[in-house]
Amino acid sequence: MSSAISIESLSMEYGTPGSGHKALDDVSLEIRDNEFFTLLGPSGCGKTTLLRLIAGFEQPSAGIIRLYGEPMQDLPPFRRPVNTVFQSYALFPHMTVAQNIGFGLEMQGKPKAEIAATVERMLALVKLPHVAERRADQLSGGQQQRIALARALASRPKVLLLDESLSALDMKLRKDMQIELKRLQAETGITFIFVTHDQEEALTMSDRIAVMSQGRILQVGSPTEIYEAPVNRTVADFIGETNFLAADAFASGVRLADGQLLSVVSPTPGPVTLAIRPERISLQDSGDLQGEVEEVVYIGTDTLYLLKVAGQSGFRVRQQNRLGAAQPLKRGDAVRIDVPSAAIRVLAE
Amino acid sequence: MSTPRQLAARRQLLRRLGLITPSMLVLAVFLVAPLAIMLLVSFLQPGDYGGVKWGQYSAEAYINFLYERDLDDSLVFNTDYLGIFQRSLGLAVMTTLGCLLIGFPTALYLALQSEKKRNLLLFLVTVPFWTNLLVRVYAWILLLRNGGLIDSGLGLIGLGDGALGILYSDAAVMIGLLYTFLPFMVLPIYTSLEKLDWRLVEAAFDLGANRFQALKRIILPLALPGMLAGTTLVFIPALGNYIIPELLGGGKALMIGNLVQLQFGSAHNWPLGSALAFALFSLVLLALLFNGLRQRRSTEVRI
Repeated sequence: MSSAISIESLSMEYGTPGSGHKALDDVSLEIRDNEFFTLLGPSGCGKTTLLRLIAGFEQPSAGIIRLYGEPMQDLPPFRRPVNTVFQSYALFPHMTVAQNIGFGLEMQGKPKAEIAATVERMLALVKLPHVAERRADQLSGGQQQRIALARALASRPKVLLLDESLSALDMKLRKDMQIELKRLQAETGITFIFVTHDQEEALTMSDRIAVMSQGRILQVGSPTEIYEAPVNRTVADFIGETNFLAADAFASGVRLADGQLLSVVSPTPGPVTLAIRPERISLQDSGDLQGEVEEVVYIGTDTLYLLKVAGQSGFRVRQQNRLGAAQPLKRGDAVRIDVPSAAIRVLAE
Repeated sequence: MSTPRQLAARRQLLRRLGLITPSMLVLAVFLVAPLAIMLLVSFLQPGDYGGVKWGQYSAEAYINFLYERDLDDSLVFNTDYLGIFQRSLGLAVMTTLGCLLIGFPTALYLALQSEKKRNLLLFLVTVPFWTNLLVRVYAWILLLRNGGLIDSGLGLIGLGDGALGILYSDAAVMIGLLYTFLPFMVLPIYTSLEKLDWRLVEAAFDLGANRFQALKRIILPLALPGMLAGTTLVFIPALGNYIIPELLGGGKALMIGNLVQLQFGSAHNWPLGSALAFALFSLVLLALLFNGLRQRRSTEVRI
């Protein structure tokens, strides 16, 4: 697969060079053609800066951005075949919906009839065929979001950038739009770069995810890779729920702080961190780990047990509430936890 | 017997009346009453040494405005006053256009600065208000007169010959009006540009608009309310301005304001002065009406 965007040692520094705040620190990245790529990270991690650099709203301090092989970093935003769906939507308030959607094509000097036809097609694509003559501020949040999407797609960019585009919507609408976005991406065949701090959103929508923190990319991979095999504690902590246990690794297993043993192969000997997903382990009488119940939280589809394990409190075990599977446990009960070695990820930290 | 509901409605009506009455009184005493007096005066005969002959009604002032009475008492169409009205209108329109042309880029520049610098620059825009207008206009006389600062400055670089010839002309009045009213254009435009969401401009760039297109399609339309407000604030006082043409026009380039002053002063013709003032008033009302209709139309589309 050819690469749509290729970023080489991109840095962005605000303030005085050398001592300013580094929003991006030597980032390199390949984004493939026709990919739904997500930049995921907490606020302030540099993901929006990276997006703005690709769009051309800001100039990098150093590095190269290539779009289908062509260097982009010196082109102004209006010369880049890249469109953005803004977090605030940024619809033009003094224009109708149709004028908003047709704006990009009009700037390209396309004939009126062609613009009208494209606007109509775009409105059908985002399933809002009847709002063409309305003003942008007469629409609901979800409708504005769709129009912003239609406007960005109308001039057929090679790459579409989405800056936290769903975060202003309520839960239900967001779920619908997630599916809608995936459908649009498949239908248009345009490369989508999506920025979000919502890990669930990233996991459900993306082909690949780049996890960012403090101006650096920590890990790039498919949602499964990121979730199943996080490279370090920050990634494991940011994506989903994770229990961390300090342990000491030796040849055939690891020893926890209180002396309990777990059989898992560690790549390195010495002090390690065990990352264990709460839904991969279960409470069973035959379990290998000893724990004490601190709290039982009933969440409907499953029950969350907060345990004290190896002197560490807040160890989570998530159990599905199957028929007849209820275990009437209460605070202070001793339990055993079944931890299959496949559920443990050993991080050398 | 009134129902409680009717009582409540009556009480609310009284409360509203109570709140409105003071402002209505102020308007009645200081706006409506003087206008009524002026209207009355404009239909009276002029007194011999100023003032009016009470009780002697005539429409002579309004006839005088357009016609001259010949020796044989026949009316001859006279365009002298209309000419002055036309000049005033022309100067006010030119002033407004000039203020727009200079004011918009200035306001745009202001709005694009960092907050700290912006406050300083805004302060500088309002600095002229700290000095009396009369003093500033006299300063312009020093600048513009033959052998004045501009003239001798041009002479130093070999461009002037000591006879600039700007002072006491329409050009000088124009410069003075432009100078006086520029802040009234800059400030409202700045206010609407300051509220502008610059992400919209970014979005326009993103969709392929170059700088000129973004200015034309996004910034100008969104700054329109400020430009309309500025136009009103500049055009109306410029139209009736008295002091600038008096000092910089040297009594040669008259505007309506000077004409009115003349009738109340040395010409001893109060009725004509009042009639002229009413003619000016109707011009201003027309301008306001035009502006109001425009604004109504632009908000209608918005809703």
